[in-house]
Amino acid sequence: MKKRTFALALALTMALSLTACGSNPAASNPGSNPGSSPSSNPGSASTPQDAGEFNPDVAQDAMTIEELRAANGTEVAVPADAELAVVMKSLSNEFWRTLEEGYQQAASDAGITIEVDATTSENDEILQQTMTENFTTGGKTALMLSPISDSNLTSAVESAKAAGVLTVNVNDGLIAQANHYVGPNAAQNGELAAAWLSEKLGDQGEVAIVIGMPKAFAARQRTAGFKQWIADNNSGLVVVEEQNADWDRNQAKTIAANWIQNHPNLKGIFCNNDTMALGVVEAVKEAGADILVVGVDGIGEAYESIRNGGLSATIDSFPFYMGQIATEVTLRSLNGETIPSVVQTPQALIDSTNVDMDAAEIINWVPPIYTAG
Amino acid sequence: MKNVYTRYKRELLVLAAAAILCVVFTVINPRFMTWGNFLTVFQQMVLNGLLAVGIMFAILTGGIDLSIGCTFAIVGIAVASACVAGINPFVAIVIGLAIGALLGCFNGFLVNNLKLQPFIATLGTMSLYRGIAYVVTGGVPVTNVPASFRSIFNGQFPGGIRYYVVVMVAVFIIAHIILSKTRTGDYLYSVGGNEEAAKLSGVNTKKTKYIAYIASGVCTAVAGMVMLASLGSAEATAGTGYETDAIAAAAIGGTSMAGGRGTAFGTFCGALLLAILKVGMVVISVDSFWQYVVTGLIIVVASYFEFAKDDFAAFMARFKRS
Repeated sequence: MKKRTFALALALTMALSLTACGSNPAASNPGSNPGSSPSSNPGSASTPQDAGEFNPDVAQDAMTIEELRAANGTEVAVPADAELAVVMKSLSNEFWRTLEEGYQQAASDAGITIEVDATTSENDEILQQTMTENFTTGGKTALMLSPISDSNLTSAVESAKAAGVLTVNVNDGLIAQANHYVGPNAAQNGELAAAWLSEKLGDQGEVAIVIGMPKAFAARQRTAGFKQWIADNNSGLVVVEEQNADWDRNQAKTIAANWIQNHPNLKGIFCNNDTMALGVVEAVKEAGADILVVGVDGIGEAYESIRNGGLSATIDSFPFYMGQIATEVTLRSLNGETIPSVVQTPQALIDSTNVDMDAAEIINWVPPIYTAG
Repeated sequence: MKNVYTRYKRELLVLAAAAILCVVFTVINPRFMTWGNFLTVFQQMVLNGLLAVGIMFAILTGGIDLSIGCTFAIVGIAVASACVAGINPFVAIVIGLAIGALLGCFNGFLVNNLKLQPFIATLGTMSLYRGIAYVVTGGVPVTNVPASFRSIFNGQFPGGIRYYVVVMVAVFIIAHIILSKTRTGDYLYSVGGNEEAAKLSGVNTKKTKYIAYIASGVCTAVAGMVMLASLGSAEATAGTGYETDAIAAAAIGGTSMAGGRGTAFGTFCGALLLAILKVGMVVISVDSFWQYVVTGLIIVVASYFEFAKDDFAAFMARFKRS
């Protein structure tokens, strides 16, 4: 009898985790891009969002950091009482580690300390909430938050705001209630990928999309942006397949191997992140096919693969600079400057032509000038 | 013939279901029934098949091994690092198998010597092993695994059959022989069926359970190395959630979660069914959201048959009364 109960519990656990697990919602990024037009593309970004839902991609007052500096002055006074803290996702992920390095760089530039809390997994929604509440009660003056989902920090942000703490939403997921959003234009990385594939393929041919099960806004927008670009530009690219690979390299490889057999004319594959793209590259190599593979994230392994002629391109949203921009925006806001609801951070497509360029050069990065306030 | 039918009734049922799925997929998209796609199905089932046959050993004894996805990652990282460091690929394979055995042995220690419940013990090592994978790599993937290693598993026979498919079949055959032809096999079933009775009849239950968890670790190690050969890189996040698919394959194939019942052939059929399902849904372009729904339904229905077959009459009687 005992065994039966145990077996039942086990079966339930299994069934539950089958629906809920498997994903590693990789880094996420999106954004405004220095290479082409730097600010938002309101016409092209709005696809899957219902009216009334917060969508930073279509914010009318969105600015880039360059535009913000032009409007408010290049010098940033650092408030003497500034107490900044960060809550973000798993530091086991390269993207978030790099974002943290950006925060620490900004902290040392501005002569302040920034306390960073991150969950160990990208699934611990409640722990993030606790971390946020602890910072609020601990007397921080501003919080920079990258929630796991689009909803798990909602109430924590409301209590922070009630306590007079400034909240800045960085990258993703989204917090509609936060004072400002700092991050890339999410749909634009899909657009950059579509535009690049279109150029390389003479604007015609079959393409496919490997998606990751979306938990947060940015991931959904990647696919949407890709398809929207094709629709908006009357492109000759045809999306013949679209499948979920759960952010898993091996699953992505299996799916791609399948497509390569079923679609002999497949010319390009866009993947929602680099990990899956690197799996697809292996499938393409094994099949000896001539297919362009584009990922998203700009992780180190993707750069390496581009150098070695594996991956064709990746969209990097430069978390190291995103962290610095978020800190600058937060300090400006603490000073009472007028800050738009959305500040877009740079994002660019990396291929064999610019893979060895310095990131600061690609995005024309100018470090902020901090003065004691 | 009749003997084969009664002995492998369960397995034949799963194969029949797999055949029906194949027909459905082929009707929707004839490309499903091609040699190339056939190969894809077998390639797709390799990782899950190896993990499933491993976890089946633990389940047979009335236990479970939730740590396989993490053992999988550690072995991949260790073997990748060894190969990158220039160690002979065959030595690296031995290292990989040894690590799998060692991690399995530690699970066995927790279950046997510390008397922890297998679910809890391996839930602990699941996190422990994943943590080790992160600590060792710092979250950075190990890449550029030399072709000398990759070709051992990833090479092809004429016709496109990958070596690792043959490796998987070999592992299943070995498992089948152990379970059906050796005394160890009898012990595994008897420990899972009734541990006290097994102990009283002189079975070394401790040793038997150690063997089960070590077998689980070793099969997982083989899977980890196949993955490494297939992808050319290893990362700490590899194999996350893979244990659930492995349990599903074993369960569909007729392995009783209570222990004491299940066969290697059945688990093979379960993994094959899941692979056909996965590949088929990609071939006919089923919406990704629906794939979860369909997979879940198949598992539930298959498990229902398992239960129903057991004491169908008794179940129906109860059902009617209520």
